[in-house]
Amino acid sequence: MGLLGAMVKKDLKLLFRDKMTVFFTFGFPLIFAAFFGSIFSSGGSGSAGIAVVVSDLDQSTESAAFVQRMDEVNELRVEILPEHEAREATRKGKKVAYIILPDGFGKAYGSLFSGGTPEVIIGVDPSRKAEAGMLQGVMMKLGVERFQNALSDNTSLADVLGDSIKSIEEDQNIPDDWRVLLNDYLPKMKTMLEKEEAMTATTSVTANGDNGISSALTPLDLNFEDVMINRDGPKNGYAVTIPQAMYWAMMGVVMGFGLALVQEKTLGTMTRLVAAPITRLQILGGKALGCFVALFFVMTALFAFARLVFDVPIDYPLKILLALFCVSSGFVGIMMLLAALGKTERGISSLGWGVMMVFAMFGGAMIPLFAMPEWMKAMSDLSPVKWAILSFEGATWRNFSYEELLLPCGIMLMLGIICFYAGSRMIKLEE
Amino acid sequence: MIKIEGVSKQFDDLLAVDNLSLDIHQGEIFGLLGPNGAGKSTIISMISGQQLPTSGSLKIAGHSPVSNQSKRLIGVAPQTTAMYEELSALDNLEFFGSLYGMSQGDLKSRSDEVLEFTGLSERAQDRVKKYSGGMKRRLNLAITMLHQPEILLLDEPTVGVDPQSRNKLFENILDLKAQGKTVLYTTHYMEEAEKLCDRVGILDHGKLLALDSVDGLIDEYGGESQLDVTTADEVITLGTQHPVAELQEILREHSNITDLKLKRPDLEQVFLHLTGRHLRD
Repeated sequence: MGLLGAMVKKDLKLLFRDKMTVFFTFGFPLIFAAFFGSIFSSGGSGSAGIAVVVSDLDQSTESAAFVQRMDEVNELRVEILPEHEAREATRKGKKVAYIILPDGFGKAYGSLFSGGTPEVIIGVDPSRKAEAGMLQGVMMKLGVERFQNALSDNTSLADVLGDSIKSIEEDQNIPDDWRVLLNDYLPKMKTMLEKEEAMTATTSVTANGDNGISSALTPLDLNFEDVMINRDGPKNGYAVTIPQAMYWAMMGVVMGFGLALVQEKTLGTMTRLVAAPITRLQILGGKALGCFVALFFVMTALFAFARLVFDVPIDYPLKILLALFCVSSGFVGIMMLLAALGKTERGISSLGWGVMMVFAMFGGAMIPLFAMPEWMKAMSDLSPVKWAILSFEGATWRNFSYEELLLPCGIMLMLGIICFYAGSRMIKLEE
Repeated sequence: MIKIEGVSKQFDDLLAVDNLSLDIHQGEIFGLLGPNGAGKSTIISMISGQQLPTSGSLKIAGHSPVSNQSKRLIGVAPQTTAMYEELSALDNLEFFGSLYGMSQGDLKSRSDEVLEFTGLSERAQDRVKKYSGGMKRRLNLAITMLHQPEILLLDEPTVGVDPQSRNKLFENILDLKAQGKTVLYTTHYMEEAEKLCDRVGILDHGKLLALDSVDGLIDEYGGESQLDVTTADEVITLGTQHPVAELQEILREHSNITDLKLKRPDLEQVFLHLTGRHLRD
């Protein structure tokens, strides 16, 4: 193992043997991401119900009542929009699914023993299998209610029977055997219901799979459509909070290495480093490389955790690698400058936390960039945290092109080079 | 081995080392004796290439102290126990050895040797933070001698050490001298200088006040020995530069001597004589 390798190995061992540093590097960022991510995600498909948008093309009494029932159930959060807007909202990922009640829905919904099954068109992102399954269950439950409504009330059942007798007479597709049977049975039943309003109807209809009758007994005909989602927003809240959380992890590493660099002097180990046949550049380069490796490792681990646990999409790994490289470089430089300016352990603690917290406040590590007021957004340009987070967001849910990534990544890289140069010139290795 | 000519070191308005000249010979233990702030550590840091003299010349076996040749010849044990307390003794040795480009094989064998030498083999895997002060001092020495330097700069190596560890360190240092190593030993304990050092330089306020063997310094600057002679009739107390001659004279004059005490001056008297102050003032 070479000199730099030995220095990196030693620094990483020291870093990860410090329990507080490990907590602030891994534990705290994950708690931060999980907590705020769950808050942001509740606007999508959380426990408040599946956000759907409904378009009622039928505009019948039955379809309106069905929409109202959808709105009443806890499993759904319904917004009513025209069809085009409903499709668009789903495609843009603002809603989980669209539900369209097409023309004829109300007529089919009201005919229990005749006519077709009421059709419902559902558009959902194919990747959201869980939501699609849940949606199917909710819709079928609501569909079944039309049987319950009809069969639990003599008056409405008599109305349904009347409508059905009329439909059977008009429908040429019903087989003759069924027509004879129904024309004999349904009128008798209707008469009985009209005479004995108090009678409890216990009707059992057996369908043998023939057209018309069997389909009429299916609660709803759900036609699912796949929707190609335009992801111009984060897939979930964690996609926003993970880059923010990474800053807190980076801060843990930067402060850890900055302090370690100063402690080399107070512990006297710097004496040994300076007295050894190695150059000043090798000493500082070893520290910088150790910090870089730690930052890169920690952030890669957090990205992996975010992908596996929080389902944050990692669709562009090369872009993420580019962002990791540039952001790590940037914060290595900042570490070096802080160590040079702080000089003592107390100095670097005060200066480091102060500076890094201000960077965090204005850079989007506390309030997401998109949620900032305009004046704050303008100030955020001065914070390297903004460019770090933008690099990560650009490599993930913002889907930046390489040209677009150049700005935030380039700023981080240049910042790192300038700060490292200044810090390494200013820092005093000798007592 | 170490040649210092007219070296001064100025920190802002403090003259830490004032026109120092001395030669330290190969294979000797050279002591720098002086109170805290006398400039001992500054001299060590200049010899080890950590600081440059403001003026004067300093050579290590003919090389500049900042050269890699010189740095490879030198092992420094700083006044603080300069090691990583969260790492084990072996981890520390592995890291500091790698600074000198030692191969893995050399590192392993030398680590075993220096740990054995300092009596730390059984605790090699323990984290240093679990060591006693004396063990840390011994590990400090082990790290210093890991790369087999010809010159060891030991800056107050017994500060805060228990008597047992101190004796072990003394044994180690005398062993190193027996191996032909050159040792520069700074201390403010005169007993240590008297016990270990071939030659001692008395330092105060950055200035070398005297330089000689311990006996030479005492003879030159120690003042009179104190002789207490008790006879059947009286107690005779006298100070003298020549205690043997005085004693012979007393023996001639008194035949009934019952007790005799001779107190020879020590380096404390030397320092007092040279500075007007005690070493621990």
